[in-house]
Amino acid sequence: MVTLDLHGYGWMLWRGLGLTILVGLGAMGLAVALGLLGAWGKLSRYRAARWLAGTYTTVIRGVPELILILLVYYGVPTLVQDLAASAGRDLRVDLNPFVAGIATIGLIYGAFATEVFRGAIQAVPRGQIEAARAFGMGRALLLRRVVLPQMWRFALPGLGNVWMVLIKATALISVIQLEELMRSADIAARATRLPFTFFFAASLFYLGITIASMLIQRRIESWSYRGAPRGQG
Amino acid sequence: MTPDVGPREAALRVTNLHKAFGSLDVLRGISLAAHEHDVIAVMGASGSGKSTLLRCINLLDIPDAGEVHVGGELIHMCFDRRGQRTAADPRQVDRIRTRLGMVFQRFNLWSHMTVLQNIIEAPIRVLGVPRRRAIEQADQLLRKVGLYDKRDDFPAYLSGGQEQRAAIARALAMEPEVLLLDEPTSALDPELVGEVLKVIDDLAAEGRTMLIVTHEIGFARAVSSRTIFLHQGMVNEQGPSRQVLDEPRSERFRRFLSGGNWGRAALTTPSQTGGNE
Ligand SMILES: Nc1ncnc2c1ncn2[C@@H]1O[C@H](COP(=O)(O)OP(=O)(O)OP(=O)(O)O)[C@@H](O)[C@H]1O
Ligand SMILES: [Mg+2]
Repeated sequence: MVTLDLHGYGWMLWRGLGLTILVGLGAMGLAVALGLLGAWGKLSRYRAARWLAGTYTTVIRGVPELILILLVYYGVPTLVQDLAASAGRDLRVDLNPFVAGIATIGLIYGAFATEVFRGAIQAVPRGQIEAARAFGMGRALLLRRVVLPQMWRFALPGLGNVWMVLIKATALISVIQLEELMRSADIAARATRLPFTFFFAASLFYLGITIASMLIQRRIESWSYRGAPRGQG
Repeated sequence: MTPDVGPREAALRVTNLHKAFGSLDVLRGISLAAHEHDVIAVMGASGSGKSTLLRCINLLDIPDAGEVHVGGELIHMCFDRRGQRTAADPRQVDRIRTRLGMVFQRFNLWSHMTVLQNIIEAPIRVLGVPRRRAIEQADQLLRKVGLYDKRDDFPAYLSGGQEQRAAIARALAMEPEVLLLDEPTSALDPELVGEVLKVIDDLAAEGRTMLIVTHEIGFARAVSSRTIFLHQGMVNEQGPSRQVLDEPRSERFRRFLSGGNWGRAALTTPSQTGGNE
C-alpha cells in the first residue's frame, strides 16, 4: 500500500475539502433555486419573463466561468463603490470570497439547472396536466400537485450531472483566495515544493466526492422512482 | 325556451360551436343539448372533431364561437388584449369543470399517485371535501368499478381496462352533473373493452347524464338514448339511437356504420389521435 506523505499539510487539505463541499452545497442550492425560476421564466406566458430567462442562460453559457468569477468578485464591489461615489458617499465594499464563490458558481450552474428543469417540466405527460385542468385545478394547484412532483423524477439525473460538474468547478474559485481544496493543495505544494504530491492528493479528494455523490444519487433516484415505473401516460 | 324554467333546463347545452385550428375548420356550428339522464353517443370518422367537441365543452380547447351552458349556467367568454377569445372568468371555468367529469381515451391517471390518491385528489384539493369522507367515497366507487383490491397500486401496475375504470371512478368522485367520455375503450386491448363498457352501462342504468364518444355501435345502441353523427364539422345526423343506428338516413352515416369498425382502424394508428393528449 502506497501512502502519501503530506508533510503535515494533510489537515489543510481536509479543511479545504470541507470548504469545497460547503461552497458546493451552497452553490447547488442557489443553482436549483435559480434553475426553477429560470425554467418558470422560459415556460412563462409572459414575454418579459421568457426574455429574462433566455438572456440569463445565453450570457452564462457564452462567458467563460473564470471570467464570471472575477467579474463578480472584483466587479461587484467596484460597481457598488462607484455608485456610492457618484452619490457622494465614500463606501468601501469587500466581497467575502466564500459568499462570492457560492454566488458565482450558483449563478453559473443555475443556467444549466434551468435547462434541466425546463426539460423535466416538459417531460411531464401532457395528458396528466389536461386531466388536472379538466378536474378544475387552478394553475398553482396543478403545478404543486401534478407538475412538480413528477418533474423531480425527470430532473434528478440531470441535476446529478450539474452537481458533479459544479463541484469540480469550485476549484476555479481558488483564484479569489478562498482556501478551498484546490487552493489548499496549491499552498501546500508551494510550501513543500511537492506539487505532484498535493495535486494528486487533491484529485483523489475530488474523485472521492464524485464517487460518494454517485452513490447518493443512485439512492435518491431509486427512491423517487418508487411505485411508478416509467413509460406512463 | 325560456331561461328561468330551472328543472327543465338542459344539463348541458351547446349552441353553434365553432372551432378551427389554423386553416382547418374542425367544428362548424355544432349544437346539442343533453337533458338529465340523457346518454348521448357521439360518432364520426377519425378527425371529424369528436374530441375537439368534448374539449371545447370544458374549455380544454377554446371555441372560436358559440355558447356552452352547464346546468343553465353560461360559460362567459371574452376577448383578451390580443383579440384572442378566452374565458372571461377563469374561476368560473374551474368551477364549471368540477361539474363536468372527463374520461380520456388514454386515461391520463396521475402516475405518481396510487389509484386511491388519484380518486381523492380533486375532491379534497378542489372541492374541499374532508379527507376521511373523500376516502370513504372513493372506496365505495372502487368497489363499484371492481378495483377495491387495487386501491393502493400505482397506475403503471394496472391493465388498461383497470386504468380506465380507475379513471372513471376518479371522474365520478367529483359527483359531476355530466360525464364526458372520449372514446373510453378505443385504447384498450379487445379483451378489456367489455369490463369498461360494463361500468359505463351501469352508470347509464343509474341515470347518469353522459356524452360519450364511441365507435362501439352495439354499445351505443344498447346504452345511449340518442346518437349524433359528426361529419365535416357539423351534425350530419342525429336522433334516437335505435332509430338512427338501425336506419340511418344520411348516406355518409350509412357508409360509416357499414364501414366496419372505424374505431379499431383509428386505434392502430394512434398518431392520428394527436390533439387529444
Ligand atoms: N391542438 C390541435 N392543433 C391542431 N390541430 C388539431 C389540434 N387538435 C385537433 N386537431 C385536428 O383537428 C381535427 C379533429 O381532431 P379530433 O381529435 O377532434 O378528431 P376526433 O374526431 O376525435 O378523431 P379520433 O377519432 O381520431 O379521435 C384533426 O384533423 C386534428 O388533427
Ligand atoms: Mg378523438
